[in-house]
Amino acid sequence: MDSTLTRVPKNKKSISDLFAPIGKWFSNFGKRFADGSIGTKLSHFIFGAGNFYHKQYIKGALFLILQVAIICFMVFCPTINGTPYGYKALANLSLKNVSEGGDFDPITGEFSAGSDCKLMILFGFVTIAVIIIYFMLMKMSITSSVKADMDEKIGKKPSTFREDVMELFDSRFHITMLTPTCIAALIFTILPTIFMIALAFTTYNSQDMNDKGTNLFHWNGIDNFIAVFTGEGSLGMEIKNRFLPVLGWTFIWAIFATLSCYFGGIILALLINKKGLKGKKIFRTVFIMTIAIPQFISLLAVRNLLGEYGPVNGLLQDIGATSGPIGFLGLHPGDSEALAKVMVIIVNMWVGIPYTMLMTSGILMNIPADLYEAARVDGASTVKMFFKITLPYVIFVTTPYLISSFVGNINSFNTIFLLTGGGPVYTGYQAGGTDLLVTWLYKVTIDQGSYNTGAVIGIFTFIITATITLITYRRSKAYNEEDTFQ
Amino acid sequence: MKRILCMLLAVIMVFAVTAGCGKKDNKIVVWVGEESAEFYQKVCDQYVKDNPSFGYTIEVKGVDTGSVAGIVTNDPSAAADIFTTAHDNIGKLAATQCAKPITDEALINQVLADNPASFQNVIYSTLNDKKYLYGVPYISQALFMYYNKAYVTEEQAKSFEGLREAAKAAGMKAITVTGDDGFNMSFALLATKADDHSTTVKIYEGAEATSGGSKGESNCQGDDTIAIIRWLQDFKEDENGFKWASPDGWDADLRNKGCLAVIGGTWHYNTAKAAIGETNLGITLIPTLTLTEKSVEGLTGVKAGDVYRGGTFADCKVFMINATSDNKKYKAEQELVKFLSSKEVQNQSYLECMNVPAYVGASEFIKSCYDEGKVTESEYNLACTQVEMAEWGIPQPFLTGTLNTYYYSKNGPPIFRAIIDKTPYPTTGDQILTETESLEGIRKGLYLIEYIWMHGNNPKEFPSSLPQKA
Repeated sequence: MDSTLTRVPKNKKSISDLFAPIGKWFSNFGKRFADGSIGTKLSHFIFGAGNFYHKQYIKGALFLILQVAIICFMVFCPTINGTPYGYKALANLSLKNVSEGGDFDPITGEFSAGSDCKLMILFGFVTIAVIIIYFMLMKMSITSSVKADMDEKIGKKPSTFREDVMELFDSRFHITMLTPTCIAALIFTILPTIFMIALAFTTYNSQDMNDKGTNLFHWNGIDNFIAVFTGEGSLGMEIKNRFLPVLGWTFIWAIFATLSCYFGGIILALLINKKGLKGKKIFRTVFIMTIAIPQFISLLAVRNLLGEYGPVNGLLQDIGATSGPIGFLGLHPGDSEALAKVMVIIVNMWVGIPYTMLMTSGILMNIPADLYEAARVDGASTVKMFFKITLPYVIFVTTPYLISSFVGNINSFNTIFLLTGGGPVYTGYQAGGTDLLVTWLYKVTIDQGSYNTGAVIGIFTFIITATITLITYRRSKAYNEEDTFQ
Repeated sequence: MKRILCMLLAVIMVFAVTAGCGKKDNKIVVWVGEESAEFYQKVCDQYVKDNPSFGYTIEVKGVDTGSVAGIVTNDPSAAADIFTTAHDNIGKLAATQCAKPITDEALINQVLADNPASFQNVIYSTLNDKKYLYGVPYISQALFMYYNKAYVTEEQAKSFEGLREAAKAAGMKAITVTGDDGFNMSFALLATKADDHSTTVKIYEGAEATSGGSKGESNCQGDDTIAIIRWLQDFKEDENGFKWASPDGWDADLRNKGCLAVIGGTWHYNTAKAAIGETNLGITLIPTLTLTEKSVEGLTGVKAGDVYRGGTFADCKVFMINATSDNKKYKAEQELVKFLSSKEVQNQSYLECMNVPAYVGASEFIKSCYDEGKVTESEYNLACTQVEMAEWGIPQPFLTGTLNTYYYSKNGPPIFRAIIDKTPYPTTGDQILTETESLEGIRKGLYLIEYIWMHGNNPKEFPSSLPQKA
């Protein structure tokens, strides 16, 4: 075993190595400008000029059209719902030049609804993205011209538009396929994420805004982050009094939910894969059934089973074990918080174990039989073989899964929200006894409209999960010895 | 071949992500309650057919009416051109400029001619200090009581004491509520003396419909309120008394013989009917309660034996026009609202969806429907009871956006529940209201609620001696 798990040190990079490519890029940029043809030089200012110079008219025209379009976008500032893009959007990012609106023409119904700060921030970021795209286009235009220069230098005819297009379907097909994905990621993932992060630094809280009868909000620096510790923010003492208990429970939940499902799954897989067991396929199918049934249906079914009028309470009362219903899931304010916490962990095992079992089954079947054979020859017992062969093998392969499972449990919205709804309720607070950061976040934003505080909670959750993931993963054998395991 | 397939998938992806981005300019979208969507779509289709010059198609969507105001204030451009909401949201929607004022003379005249003064007082708000009509009433609402006739006689249903007697015999709890929010708990807070309808409770009485205007007068610390709360505390502790609705739903309480009755509105009718069946479903006014020696101890403004009737907010659902709706549609939208809120459509809505009309004199129509056999006895009782119960109630007097928020979302209702439950309640000043059993504890809780109504937040500290408002 030891010979297969040899540690290979990673290449260490110094900080200066990180900046080297940037310096190289600037150096190349200047060199290209100096050495390039007149077309290449002009391409730095007029996109496609180099292509026109090399008679690549269609390509040149496309670059030029895009440049003109972006410049028009920046100068003429197209407007959607009364909020402009372009340079005005950059100015609007300060959220200083805002209007309360309210001008109304009773005849035509013309109504100025005032500035929309949400759109002002969003359009500001979109404009920044457009500026970045402008510079990317500039680089592409220059690169294209330089390539044509080089072709001419070696006596080759610069590529035609048709050849460039054909290339996009041949040697550069990956670019063709990745472009829509990147654009979609930019629009639907990166921009909303930046937007939500930005909200954490604003006073965007619909309740406070309703109080003041306004749609306007403004930047407030790191006040929302400080409020977590002082209780001065829009959620008052809730954020101060409930943040740490919710964070603590989130960790306890994530640890127990992860480990219980992980080891439960391994044990189940070992039992099912035991040699000589009859009906293995049936057992596997039964457990896979719990995966096949949508999780929310399973959870709601359990909620009904354990509910006030559910069969479990009915049975307990019928046999005289209890005089009234037991609040297993903490759905009433006075119910036991500890019991609710234990119950969600147990129920989560039911929906979580089959996943680990399924994966571990596959791993177990792939453990080389000769390892066990050799161990047996050496006189190892079954228990010793489990701890020296099976478990290290499974843990090595499943460490990334274990980490992603831990992070997934930190953000396990469904289980908590559908089973307990975060209850039992703490009177006067949004965050109940079993609320995780993520379910609390939902209540704070959707129920309370405290988008700024919600964004702060989201950022904290991200920092915590990202830190844990990075530290754990980088210290795991699966990362450090990924190339060594045979 | 693979590449062509990849390209096709990429194109499909682009179409998929941009699907639904278009907006039709010749369509007016209307949001109504889920239970009435089919009906309103039918009448709107007929309206378009009968008025070819209208020029727009109409799409009716059913929504959870309780969430509409939140959706509209959050993003008006995502909401319908015309939407329905409870009247108490008007102030908030007007203040945040999410709704357009109504200016069509014919529509305004119809509203003024058809609706009672109590509704007319709460459908206006201001824009740039000018008063405008914002909401057009079309459904009236009030709380009353559903009960299980299999266990409760008509006589027993008249009082909470009678209910308790029936509950004791059946081995159940007497009554529950459909929610613990400010609206549902009005049955206790707005209880009035049975003989003269009097109460010391005031909520924004005389408030002005302007942002920054007077908040009027509020009071919930009167002796009668305290006595009723003490009575409810005892009633909740009684094993055959009051219970909060099951997390499985108040209908689960009715269905599973968890309790005998529930305080609800017409919009709960179908659910209540499904829970215990139409033959077992009794409908009546919210019962009376008789103050006990214990509940009046230490109070001077009330005495044991005083009888109070459970109260209610008497509300109306209104249509409003979205501020971000295209100006070109403005005229057509007002025409459509005029049609949808007309007496004829309200009457049809009652017949098909059990929505009790909001206009004055609707009870005559309701009676004629029963006489002509168009509605069942239970449906007739439903409408009559609501109309009668509304006489014991007051419209939610939320004239500005701010006051609405203060009443509902600033922890007043949870404090009220904490007092009923005798549980501690945290305040922003880090002071914990640890006991809610004593007279002093109840006074402190009610002081907090009243303070929140007036200021929107908790007081930094309690006054050294609480005012005693008999």
